Amino acid sequence: MAPPKTYRCEGIILSYKPLGEADLLVTMFTRYQGKVHAVGKGARRSTSKLMGHLEPLTAVNLSLAHGRSMDIISQAEVINSFSTLKEDLTGITKGQYLAEMVDGFGAESSPNPSLFQLMVDTLRVIEAAPESEMALRYFEYHLLQVSGLMPELYHCVECREELEPDAHRFSPNVGGTLCLACSPEDAHLRPLSLRALKVLRLLDRSQLAEACKLSINGTLSNELKSLLSTTVSYWLGKEIRSNSFLEHLRNETPPEVYI
Amino acid sequence: MTQENISGASPSLSRLVQELNRLPGIGPKSAQRLAYYIIRLPDDDAYALADAVTSVKQNIVFCEECQNLTDASPCQVCSNPDRDRTTICVVEDPLDVLAMERTRSYRGLYHVLHGVISPINGIGPDQLKLKELFNRLTRDDVAEMVVATNPTLEGEATAMYIRRHQSRDNIKITHLARGLPVGGSLEYTDETTLTRAFQGRQEI
Repeated sequence: MAPPKTYRCEGIILSYKPLGEADLLVTMFTRYQGKVHAVGKGARRSTSKLMGHLEPLTAVNLSLAHGRSMDIISQAEVINSFSTLKEDLTGITKGQYLAEMVDGFGAESSPNPSLFQLMVDTLRVIEAAPESEMALRYFEYHLLQVSGLMPELYHCVECREELEPDAHRFSPNVGGTLCLACSPEDAHLRPLSLRALKVLRLLDRSQLAEACKLSINGTLSNELKSLLSTTVSYWLGKEIRSNSFLEHLRNETPPEVYI
Repeated sequence: MTQENISGASPSLSRLVQELNRLPGIGPKSAQRLAYYIIRLPDDDAYALADAVTSVKQNIVFCEECQNLTDASPCQVCSNPDRDRTTICVVEDPLDVLAMERTRSYRGLYHVLHGVISPINGIGPDQLKLKELFNRLTRDDVAEMVVATNPTLEGEATAMYIRRHQSRDNIKITHLARGLPVGGSLEYTDETTLTRAFQGRQEI
């Protein structure tokens, strides 16, 4: 029997770019099909029935038809547009940061329902609290976990001895934490404070809502931010571009808004 | 596969195909079709096309006021004394100016950003004509700024950034109405658009 010509899927729009006169080339991450590239025919026309349904950071139910080179979006229905998140510049940028990481880690025809759910849950948390940094740290850590790249936090990756409650070192290149006695030649090696190790372990064993309740000071927050984003970039093989604008927003003190 | 890979193709034809292939929306097959069309054009038409490309690259400059593309700075709109100089409409691209001008309902000035903030594509505020906009707002007697970026995620983010970073306290900042397009259908309208259309409903 011939395979069906159309299929339905649930996905989050990651990005799009214009294609031809009025089409959109949409990249989405779906719950059961992994990353999908599809064409929204005429989606840039103001009267298109797809218009507004294919905006980035929107959870949608889609009907797609198998095309010769690329699938075609025939219908789209919004499940959650995360409209509150999109009313805040920091919220939008954090959402795009997640989308860029999922785009990098997600693979076509390689379903990862855990990653899909992680993205939906994290977007909900950011929507409720756009300033929350722990939500990003939780996402980065669990992105590595659901992608099979979880760093070792309990034993030294070299000597396999259980880690003492002390400062250690960390390298994505060797797969996690190293005790001070082991010192392999590694350009990615960096110090890891005991407090940062404890927060990483907390991220490892807690739920998202629980982890987001944790309040940490600036130095520790910066150490974790740098460690996790560097680790994600290491596995991606490139910098996460939205990170620089996110850093720009973090560092600025916005003037008063007058409307 | 480009013409370059086809054995026996002339080098100048291959070069033309390669150059056309670099244009947005033009794939290798379309590039080949266009190249063969240009070859079959009368000499005058082909040279006029080449001259237009050369001329546009040599003569087009940014308007010192609105940053739109123009043959002479300031552009026709900025140098027109009949335009309302207290209103600036901020748009993403020069094509948006043409679209607004087609309405014949706006008589103010423009400011063209030449893009939108797109962190995912590595485009930040420094790559846009934002500094020029903020300088204009400080220098000129502007009463209203209409932020007419597209109602997309990146367009909205850019509008928020402008609102957050402009330092004038006696300026009215507006954006274009959100809602249903003429010829649209309620049934297929997404929730965000419909909500905004409802919020912006008007008495009839």
